[in-house]
Amino acid sequence: MKKIALVIVLLLTGCVTVRPQERAVLADPVMQFEGDPLVAAQLHHAIDNREGSFGGSGVAGGGCGCN
Amino acid sequence: MQLKLSHLASFILGVALVAIAARAHAQVVELDTSHGIYYEAPLKTHMFVYSPSLTLTANPSDSVSVYGGWEADVVSGASVSAKAGPAYQATHPTADVVTTASVNDFRNVGKGGFSIKHDNVTFGGGGLYSTENDYHSVSFNVTARTELFEHNTGLQLDYAHNFDDVCDLVQNPNALPVAHLALPSSKGCFTSDPTRMQHDISIDSFQGGWSQAWTPTFQMEAIYTLQILHGFQSDPYRSVYVGEGLKAQEFTPLDRMRHAIALRGNWYIRGFKGAVRVGLRGYRDSWNIWSGEAELEIEKYFGASFRAAINGRFYKQTGAIFWSDDYSGGNPPLGPKGSYFTGDRELSPFFSVMGGLKLTYQVAATEKKVLGFMTGLRLVAAANVMDFSYDEYTLGGQPITGALAYLLNLGLNAGF
Repeated sequence: MKKIALVIVLLLTGCVTVRPQERAVLADPVMQFEGDPLVAAQLHHAIDNREGSFGGSGVAGGGCGCN
Repeated sequence: MQLKLSHLASFILGVALVAIAARAHAQVVELDTSHGIYYEAPLKTHMFVYSPSLTLTANPSDSVSVYGGWEADVVSGASVSAKAGPAYQATHPTADVVTTASVNDFRNVGKGGFSIKHDNVTFGGGGLYSTENDYHSVSFNVTARTELFEHNTGLQLDYAHNFDDVCDLVQNPNALPVAHLALPSSKGCFTSDPTRMQHDISIDSFQGGWSQAWTPTFQMEAIYTLQILHGFQSDPYRSVYVGEGLKAQEFTPLDRMRHAIALRGNWYIRGFKGAVRVGLRGYRDSWNIWSGEAELEIEKYFGASFRAAINGRFYKQTGAIFWSDDYSGGNPPLGPKGSYFTGDRELSPFFSVMGGLKLTYQVAATEKKVLGFMTGLRLVAAANVMDFSYDEYTLGGQPITGALAYLLNLGLNAGF
């Protein structure tokens, strides 16, 4: 357990990898994981109802909509 | 639990008024609307789903954000009302029935929430109320996010709980599951109709996420999701042939625990003026469904405001441990599988392939507002085709391969 904690601490403390002045590209819309959240949510909703799996993209949701 | 639609409308109106009232002090009021269409035909179902949504977000101060919205699913089509497999079908050629008007539903969802940001920490919460003819849902969600190491590391925790109710036919309390009858229609659901009842479904969803910028052009995120469901999870309308002349309402376990791990990476290629996105997801649940998914998207700028993306996705899953294409018998893998029985193709082993195209036009106001009144505008159009191939699932005694589904999504986001 201590080894795992040590690895996590080392990983996180070594995480200052990009300086603020280098973040322009990371802030670009093309680098966002969910570029358009509503469109992405609709697509996930449609796909989730046709597959047996779930998860990895958000937990808030309601209703079945699963006909 | 049974709030009326008027309460839903009042709730949305209230949130909208708060947002509009906040407009005077707001830096930005944001309008988001999207419209999705899902259509599939080769499975005889001609299932058509139209999904509109509208969300209004306001920032009364630099650290506070509130939102309210509405979304819906307008569903029309048909579903398999009684499932029989090839062994039963061979001696009963008309046993597989696709009803022609069994599904006409309207799912309405009202939602609202807030987020508060202080330094590098953001807390948020929200609620959601959803109604369908045969399904009601009330849920709340909370989220906490922090950014560390000069915003290079993001950690996020989410939790949501659903209090759901599904309609069913009143069953004989002394009858075994193989004697339960399917719900013939949603007529009478959530009323005082003595032939209808409700089952509770409780859903707890937990999620933890870690995002990391590794270089000025590469970042990734890892997400773990846990969902615990308890309650009636069968399709109340569907029967399964479980023996000679004997069909019964689907019967699935009351409990289900689901785990998913996703890993995504975004890599910007300067010479290409675009990004490559790769995603992997693994999933397992207590019904012994295992699945894997791989996604690839390539998006490129054409000019400063327009970009185009192509995407591909491969998905494969095993079937639930109790899933069989024919519970009445036949050679393996057909035959009964323990105490439970279902006709859901979503619980069967299959794979799917998806490919699509997405176009985005996005501009932000600099010195002059966009079209004279907007601080920003984003338009999105996406089209995807999915191809499902089922390993064992049959319909009308025939294997289902190359079943196509079409998805079209349009989105508009405007800031004021």
